[in-house]
Amino acid sequence: MSDLVVDVLTGAVRGGTAIMFAALGETLAERAGVVNLGTEGSMLVGALAGYAVAAETGTPWAGLAAGLVAGGLLALVHAVMVVWRRADQFATGLTVMFLGLGLTSLFGAAYVGRAAPGFDPVAVPLLSDLPVLGEVLFHHDPVTYLSFAAAPLMWWWLRGTRGGLLLRTAGERADVLHVHGYRPGLIRGAAVVAGGALAGVGGAQLATAYAHAWFEGMTAGRGFIAVALVIFAVWRPLWVMAGSYLFGAALALAPALQARGLSLNQFALDALPFLITLAILAILGRRTLRAAPEELRRVFT
Amino acid sequence: MTTQLTPDRVASPLLAPKSGFGPALARWVGALAGAIAIFSILLLTKGADPIATLVDMVVSTTTGASIEQIVIKAAPLVLAAMAVVLPARAGLANVGGEGQVIIGAVAGAGVGLVVSGPAALPLMLIGGALGGALWAGLAVALRVTVGVNEAVTTLLLNYVALDVMLYLIYEPWKDANGSGQPATPPLAIEQRLPLVGGTAVHMGIVLALVAAAAVWLTLRHTSFGFRLSVVGGNPEAARRAGLPVARLLVTAMLLGGALAGLAGVIHLAGIEFKLRPGLTTNIGYIAFLAAWLARHNPLPAVAAAFMLAAITVGGDSLQLDSGLPAATVNVLMALILLAVLGWTAKRSTS
Amino acid sequence: MRKLAALAALLTVPLIACSANTTGTATTGTTSASPGKDSTAVGFIFVGPKDDFGYNQAAYQGSQEVAKAYPNLEVITAENVPEDDNAARVMNSMIAKGAKIIFATSYGHLDAALKVAAEHPDVAVVQQGNLITTAVPKNAGTFFGTVYEPVYLAGIAAGKATKSGKLGYVYAFPITQTIDNINAFELGAQSVNPAAQTFAVSTSSWCDPAKQAEAAANLLKQGVDVITQHQDCTATVIKATEAAGAFTVGYHADASAIAPKGWLTGSQWNWGPLYTDIVKTALGGGFTGSKYNDNFRVGYRTGENPFVQSPYGPLVDAETKAAIEKARDLLKTSSPFAGPVTDQEGKVRIPAGTVPDYTTIEKIDYFVAGVVGTLPKS
Repeated sequence: MSDLVVDVLTGAVRGGTAIMFAALGETLAERAGVVNLGTEGSMLVGALAGYAVAAETGTPWAGLAAGLVAGGLLALVHAVMVVWRRADQFATGLTVMFLGLGLTSLFGAAYVGRAAPGFDPVAVPLLSDLPVLGEVLFHHDPVTYLSFAAAPLMWWWLRGTRGGLLLRTAGERADVLHVHGYRPGLIRGAAVVAGGALAGVGGAQLATAYAHAWFEGMTAGRGFIAVALVIFAVWRPLWVMAGSYLFGAALALAPALQARGLSLNQFALDALPFLITLAILAILGRRTLRAAPEELRRVFT
Repeated sequence: MTTQLTPDRVASPLLAPKSGFGPALARWVGALAGAIAIFSILLLTKGADPIATLVDMVVSTTTGASIEQIVIKAAPLVLAAMAVVLPARAGLANVGGEGQVIIGAVAGAGVGLVVSGPAALPLMLIGGALGGALWAGLAVALRVTVGVNEAVTTLLLNYVALDVMLYLIYEPWKDANGSGQPATPPLAIEQRLPLVGGTAVHMGIVLALVAAAAVWLTLRHTSFGFRLSVVGGNPEAARRAGLPVARLLVTAMLLGGALAGLAGVIHLAGIEFKLRPGLTTNIGYIAFLAAWLARHNPLPAVAAAFMLAAITVGGDSLQLDSGLPAATVNVLMALILLAVLGWTAKRSTS
Repeated sequence: MRKLAALAALLTVPLIACSANTTGTATTGTTSASPGKDSTAVGFIFVGPKDDFGYNQAAYQGSQEVAKAYPNLEVITAENVPEDDNAARVMNSMIAKGAKIIFATSYGHLDAALKVAAEHPDVAVVQQGNLITTAVPKNAGTFFGTVYEPVYLAGIAAGKATKSGKLGYVYAFPITQTIDNINAFELGAQSVNPAAQTFAVSTSSWCDPAKQAEAAANLLKQGVDVITQHQDCTATVIKATEAAGAFTVGYHADASAIAPKGWLTGSQWNWGPLYTDIVKTALGGGFTGSKYNDNFRVGYRTGENPFVQSPYGPLVDAETKAAIEKARDLLKTSSPFAGPVTDQEGKVRIPAGTVPDYTTIEKIDYFVAGVVGTLPKS
């Protein structure tokens, strides 16, 4: 049984990493006051760009960089629409998702079934020998190790740097920025683009480190999950990290049970991650709304 | 520099279009032309002739059969768009149309499994509406009791709804006499929506248009509709004015869910006749966009639903006539939506 | 709620004066003597992308062989056609473009195919993989290979290769084709390795590579050392298996290129000859009453199976190859499901001495003994 727990936790890290990148990206956007349902699209273009560039250049690191750029570019569409054209955030996000889906199917066909170099798991010396933790945390691909640092870094950046302060202020009290001569729109747009870039990294991780394949629509709703996670993580990066692993664990439970011949209803297991997320949202209740960035609360109420 | 919602929601949006028809038309033409220009560039990169492709596409939607298909596709879209429009008036974002459509179809099919004869169809429609209302009710209950945002919960519930349907069609409701495919037994003839005249179009479109008219009347000419827009404009002020905000929110969402549920059941009883895995093909999401395209005005939303249905039907031509990949139509739809969302509204300068 | 009731009542009113919706259930109009005759075009619909490196790509390649065999025929293809009434619309558009022969190539396209067949008596509509359980209309039919036969042969290779006695099967949904495949794989493995078990893990998606990766990782962790699958996209599972140093049994296509070490064998499609023969039969006016105007099944018992065994990998020894040859010969008169077949509870489902027919096999809704996994109870 303890072995089941280890497997589920390991699977949680494996499956949660891409979602975490996307959710951290969404955290940036939302802390600046913009919801981006197009995160799903940014993940998709990141996945295709990551896989395709890895295939063309022979190095997955180039793919990861391409995923970052592609995710950011698609989010730029959202930023322009929402910040400068003042279009509705939900509708634009959904449209951007469709755009990402369409573009990647249109240009991704050539890479389905094509071989590409990817990131392979690298055991961390010493740490990987730790009981339980070694297996759960230190037998992964390099991008996953990067992700361990991403959430704490973002937490520090948002709290302790001038840039983080500006971004948070854009999400809380945009008028204050005006007074001090900053352009909140620019800050918001930059946050959305940076968020999309992170989602693109998540997509690239999914394609080049986890699934080792490109297929149209392969993110299968993980970008939407990321958006939901941010809210239940009350916009805090470290909570986002925990939430991503929780969701990853819920996803990892079904195959871990089935591979042991333990029977549970397939469809009940499929619904589990969503039900857990809903339950947590319900438990946190108003705390989520109270914690919301001021500008965001206007979108949400 | 704030997010867009306040100006559009406070004033009755119906007043907006009256301000200058000419400039509005110019904006629309300009936006659509821009979208089509970008799309043409994409077509060129895929080695297709943009003009021939677009002409084929437009021509393909003008045959009698295509028009029937557009109407058939539009019927559930209209209802599901109303399911967004009505709660939106109270400031609620119902992103859960997809799930409510599925549960509506599930509930309708469930009624169909146990009730036969002439009572079956009306009961199925009512059952579908109740099913959709229940599903939306879950989300709005979380909203008014513990304050969880409904956009997120409705979105999550979409996935749960799909699993509920899959469970039912793979297990208890699977057609024992079928070929083993995961689907319910086909509806009996009397459980299906009748056809309009001698066409292939089912009566769902009549239901949808009547419902849209009812939504329009409700929002525009009833005190309920007025109160909804007060709540949507400023819930705090509404509360201070003594309006039962929670009850209004719940009612708006339940009605929206019922409309989406109805969309599911007319899709089932009008054209599909069985619950099956791919039953809804994004009806809820496309309808959400239709509603936003129309900026939550019921009658323009009907037009938007028809336009999106026409793009889907016309999109077949991209494959059949021009040999382009299936996804091309998604790109076209997204470009048109972005153009309309971003460049057609008359806006005050920032 | 009051409003809702009023609305419902209001909406039921216009339902009175209109015609019954018999769409797709009755053959209206006169029946044509020779559906598909002298057609100028052939239409193919695929449920997924035609370059999925799997099921749909194989069907697309088949359509291109028809184009090669009949250069004067226009071959119209449509990909990503959903398994609902949208499929009927796309097929109708193809008919409007002159196609009188239609191939609906996915399991779930059957209802739409039958609807189109009922509306167009002069069009021959054939559906790939499902069964018509009612009277077969004069202008319709289904066809398929006995997919599970080469899977059974591949099971032999798996049973010989495994050291742990644990085989893995990554599948999407518990549809009959998949259940037959999983059972046949286990039965093949058992025939040479009675202790072999097949662990079945579902992903609830025909292509969610991340879920596939997780399924493969868990199977490998449990000591499974041969993995096969029934998914539309296959690369993820194969790469994970190869990276772990385990053996791969392929499905849909020869993927030995991405599993150079661990590739055993597999099953792959060759639709060209069958598609071309169906087109030939219909063009000549002889569709009605032909073997294609039925639930046509072809396998080792009847002749050329469109589902063929893939080439062997480097680690398959001569003994295994001989065992597979022997089994293939046996299948000319028998079946992977020749009795006795017992289910997971130990109940005999097919008695000893019985060789079930194709239709019986396509209705199996249980896992055989030796498969570890749970099926929904319908």
